[in-house]
Amino acid sequence: MPTKLQLHLSKVFLKIFLRDRQSIFFSLFFPIIFMTVFGFANSGGQDPINVGVVNDSDAVVAAEFVQQLIDNPIFNVTVGVEDSLRGELEEGDQTMVLVLPEVFSNQNLDQDSTELRLLVDAAQVQQLGLILPVLEQTLIEIEREFRNTEPMFNLAIEDVQARSQSYLDFLLPGLMAFTLMQLSIAGSGFNIVEYRRKGILKRLFVTPIQPKDFITAIVLARMSIILIQLAVLIAFAVLILDVRMIGSIVEFFFVVILGTFIFLNLGFCLGSIAKTQQAVILVGNIVIFPQIFLSGVFYPISSMPELIQPIAYVLPLSFVATGMRDIANEGASLLTILPSLLGIAVWLVIGFVLATRLFVWKEVAN
Amino acid sequence: MPIIEVENFTKQYPLPDSKNETFFAVDGVSLHIDKGEIFGILGPNGAGKTTTLEMLEGLTDIDGGHATIDGIDVQSHPFKVKKIIGVQLQANEYFDNLSLVELLTLFGALYKREIDPSTLLEKVQLLDKAKAKARPANLSGGQKQRFSIACALVNEPKVLFLDEPTTGLDPQAKRNLWELVTELNNSGMTIVLTTHNMEEAESLCQRIAIMDHGKIVAEGTPQHLILQHAPEPPEAPLHGNLEDVFLTLTGHALRD
Repeated sequence: MPTKLQLHLSKVFLKIFLRDRQSIFFSLFFPIIFMTVFGFANSGGQDPINVGVVNDSDAVVAAEFVQQLIDNPIFNVTVGVEDSLRGELEEGDQTMVLVLPEVFSNQNLDQDSTELRLLVDAAQVQQLGLILPVLEQTLIEIEREFRNTEPMFNLAIEDVQARSQSYLDFLLPGLMAFTLMQLSIAGSGFNIVEYRRKGILKRLFVTPIQPKDFITAIVLARMSIILIQLAVLIAFAVLILDVRMIGSIVEFFFVVILGTFIFLNLGFCLGSIAKTQQAVILVGNIVIFPQIFLSGVFYPISSMPELIQPIAYVLPLSFVATGMRDIANEGASLLTILPSLLGIAVWLVIGFVLATRLFVWKEVAN
Repeated sequence: MPIIEVENFTKQYPLPDSKNETFFAVDGVSLHIDKGEIFGILGPNGAGKTTTLEMLEGLTDIDGGHATIDGIDVQSHPFKVKKIIGVQLQANEYFDNLSLVELLTLFGALYKREIDPSTLLEKVQLLDKAKAKARPANLSGGQKQRFSIACALVNEPKVLFLDEPTTGLDPQAKRNLWELVTELNNSGMTIVLTTHNMEEAESLCQRIAIMDHGKIVAEGTPQHLILQHAPEPPEAPLHGNLEDVFLTLTGHALRD
């Protein structure tokens, strides 16, 4: 339990940090802009699908059908012969190739349905699930037009797509983890260097304050601010950007708190090593920068080159981000994210041991 | 009765040019400072004044010798010493974003004391500033120094250390600070200050020690030092003052 002095000091630091409006603004500004940009980028329409069309029929209807496909904004149509389009398909330039058979004409409208061949590339199979319904829908509409029939049912189209996981859902926990890392490292490391440069630590050193009181106070104050900042960001994401969080918010914040401890510790290490503001920013970037790319903040670690993955998985931010994401996206409980928690625990110990070794009160103060 | 006793203080630092060689920043300094006196340590830049103070304050490791303040060993009980001393450092920046009252309350808390900031601020004539919710950044040089002293007084220290308190102040601010120091001294506080200002040493300090190259080259009351070391009348018939003493003892060579 923090002592009365530690609590008093925490309140003072909280006051100091909260009055630094500018840095609070910018620490919220970046993630909010980031999320918003991604939110809009993803809500926009899809790129047209590249479709190759082989028209083996010389009927007018077939030509009209092809024209309809060309006019449909969903498709980007290339008309050609089967062999060359098949080649393009294999190279990935076409998503699929539609072959209209010779018998394609309105002569046989009342007879058996005509078979259209659809050539696909196995590598594009995931996309196919999305495309097929669209294609079928288009065919039905074209058919109706040819038959001159009105549809029996008219759908007033609302968002019929089931709420699938969007990129923003994936991004939010990672971005939160990244934000907490930055705020923590800056909050302990950068502040210590600033206070030392100004001689404030020296002044504190000649009072009977114990270093553990000083550290506890900074940790408590920073922790409170980071929790508030993350809560604001999550509220923004959930309320404004419609990001979904499935898991328990309490368990989510439990991981946040552990992560904050790790990076505050690492921040104290940096602050103890680096003597100048420039140095701490440089050393801080060495810690922060690789983790932005390697810790699965913006894309899953599993999509990275095999060689890097083993390193990427053991970075502190990876454990924190993965734990937060499993809870937020999959509704995982603390028990199911035990591997991440173990990784976090190991980094907590590493960070704490390093910080207590490096943070020598007299040397840091001088 | 001495309140500070320093025996044979030494402090070695590596030479800036060659890391293997060391020089003595403080070289066998012994001091006996009496309770209730204002004691001045004079010396050119780099003489070891600040290092000596910092060794007493616990900021710098003591390489050799030992010292007691009010009977407490400085080296073995640094935290006990910190409780009974007040310190004003050369650099006197404070946390941004905190007002004078908040800073004083904070310093009080560091000594686990409930203090009345306005009494302290009144003592250093900063009550108006505090009422205007001023922050240290809003203060002038002299006001900053007075505020530093207020911060050093929160624990009602037995000994107050002032490191070059009047450097960079205009004459008004300087006089004003002297009055404050005298006032504090009249209430029984022992004050140890460093300075290169001869006028300050002469008019404020009851006893002074002149340091050069890490050693004390002379010690005594200002009058005593003038009598002993001022140039003979033929050399300086009209100006037998402390500055002459200082220059005679430490030479005319410029210091870094």
